[in-house]
Amino acid sequence: MNKGVAITGMGIISAIGNNVAENYASLISGKKGISKIFQIETVHKDEIMVGEISDTNPVLEKRLDVSENQWSRTVLIGCLAAEEALKNAVITKINDVRTGLISGTTVGGMDKSEQYFYDYFEHPEVRQHITGLHAGDSTKKIAKHLGLEESFVTTISTACSSAANAIMLGARMIKSGQLDRVIVGGTDCLSKFTINGFKTLLILSDTYSAPFDDNRKGLNLGEAAAFLVLESDEMVKKENKKVLAYVKGYGNANDAYHQTASSEHGDGAVLAMEKALKVAGMQSSDIDYVNAHGTATPNNDLSEGRALIRLFDEKVPEFSSTKAFTGHTLAAAGGVEAVYSVLALQNNIMFPNLNYKTQMKEFDLTPITQVTKKPLRNVLSNSFGFGGNCSTLIFSKEA
Amino acid sequence: MNKNNHIKSYCHINEGIVSLNGKAVYENISPDFASFIKSAYHHFETDYSKFFKMDNLSKLAFMAAEVLLQEKSSPEQERNMAIVLSNRASSLDTDRKYQESIADENNFYPSPAVFVYTLPNICIGEISIRHKLHSENSFFIFDAFNADYIKEYSDSLLDTEKADEVLCGWVDFDEGRYEAFLYIVSHQGSHLHTKEEITRLYLT
Repeated sequence: MNKGVAITGMGIISAIGNNVAENYASLISGKKGISKIFQIETVHKDEIMVGEISDTNPVLEKRLDVSENQWSRTVLIGCLAAEEALKNAVITKINDVRTGLISGTTVGGMDKSEQYFYDYFEHPEVRQHITGLHAGDSTKKIAKHLGLEESFVTTISTACSSAANAIMLGARMIKSGQLDRVIVGGTDCLSKFTINGFKTLLILSDTYSAPFDDNRKGLNLGEAAAFLVLESDEMVKKENKKVLAYVKGYGNANDAYHQTASSEHGDGAVLAMEKALKVAGMQSSDIDYVNAHGTATPNNDLSEGRALIRLFDEKVPEFSSTKAFTGHTLAAAGGVEAVYSVLALQNNIMFPNLNYKTQMKEFDLTPITQVTKKPLRNVLSNSFGFGGNCSTLIFSKEA
Repeated sequence: MNKNNHIKSYCHINEGIVSLNGKAVYENISPDFASFIKSAYHHFETDYSKFFKMDNLSKLAFMAAEVLLQEKSSPEQERNMAIVLSNRASSLDTDRKYQESIADENNFYPSPAVFVYTLPNICIGEISIRHKLHSENSFFIFDAFNADYIKEYSDSLLDTEKADEVLCGWVDFDEGRYEAFLYIVSHQGSHLHTKEEITRLYLT
């Protein structure tokens, strides 16, 4: 049982574009999506910068043709990205084979739950946002919107590695023959809950985030949804599917260090990357480009940089963090960066690590800062979550 | 179905008694959990200041793991021990405390130190950090101790070589009542790893 896992479709909506093509155009033109927040009324609005999707909820609702103010923004953007992924994979009959949906989210319906927090008692008409809070509710709504019936539908909530873990679970289920096809990724909208939470942890930057820069001040939060369609070898053969890339490796490890911080030398990150290489049957020298987690917090970038040096034995390949474009989209980040990794493979292009100026004192690592062409075979993508939940995915051109 | 897995050792903590493999190793009939668990911490000469920052559920799980994992593994030989825990009340005890701290619109303080414990699996994190376990872990919520489910789950971890040993069991804290039953499943041990034997030891 060691089957290939083909990526046959992808979809995304983020601060730098409403679909894959727009995201790619922004990535290669260096157009970042970071600005002052305008859709959430927050006391922190003058102290933070975020990666906000430009369309308002009414606009998103219209695009999806759904009723007003019933769904969380997490569901709205999740539906749009998943729809694009299915369309891209040319899937019209979603129930003709065993098709699953695995979605990562941390926020779920929190945006709406908090908005109406003081209204539930007197206004029964907004109580749908109480049951909408649950992370799993967002996935169920997306599944229903896509028309999935009697399918494997589940939600993964492991902080910032959620979507990466969703992709990993989906790949494993394709490999073991439990599913023929699976939609995997994640969705998270901005909410006061995450803004205030990260503000409390003192890791929000008041300006554009600068991953791997010595003077980095923290992260910009972002919102996004991104999904891949994974299909088995049999499906690809049977339907003569166009394959965008393959999920070759995956690994998850427990950092066992701290409830919110990463270990000083990136122990969990090294373990996750080692496991992913082992699953892929590769050496570290097979990796041509790393899409780093690179949140631009002092702790992450130091820990991840040290982990990269340990894994690659000082010969670290070209790497960059794309979070300065999109903001850190939390549970969706692994999905967003999976889409970017596939785009990198398809176009033999590595995306710039924006806002980088000064090398970090602790080591001799410089991310790529320009759009750079290079023949790419294998791209490694990291996603590390609070609680030491470290995940790595490896995407390849060849099966 | 692998018949080769065994229960190596087990630990109970409830009603002021800590027992290891069915024998009481510490007793203190304190009226409240806080003073009981603190005295147990001192009795077992635990030297770990982070203990005092933990919530009740984590303190309970942590102490049961301390009693079971006394023999320290050498640092260069890291043990691959998975952790699979379960309970009924999730993290409700801390959830309530946190809710109280933010209930008053005019006087609230959402403490990050409390907030971090508003998930039941944080107690697994505390054990992982203490014993340097970079391993597989999961936390399940059931109405009552579910020997069958935990058995299947830990057998699967061992049989697929995801782990060499599994620290598993039940750790529940709700409205002052507490109960821990943790045990180690391994390839070797003195008790068979069957649903009946787990249930028998749980009720011991």
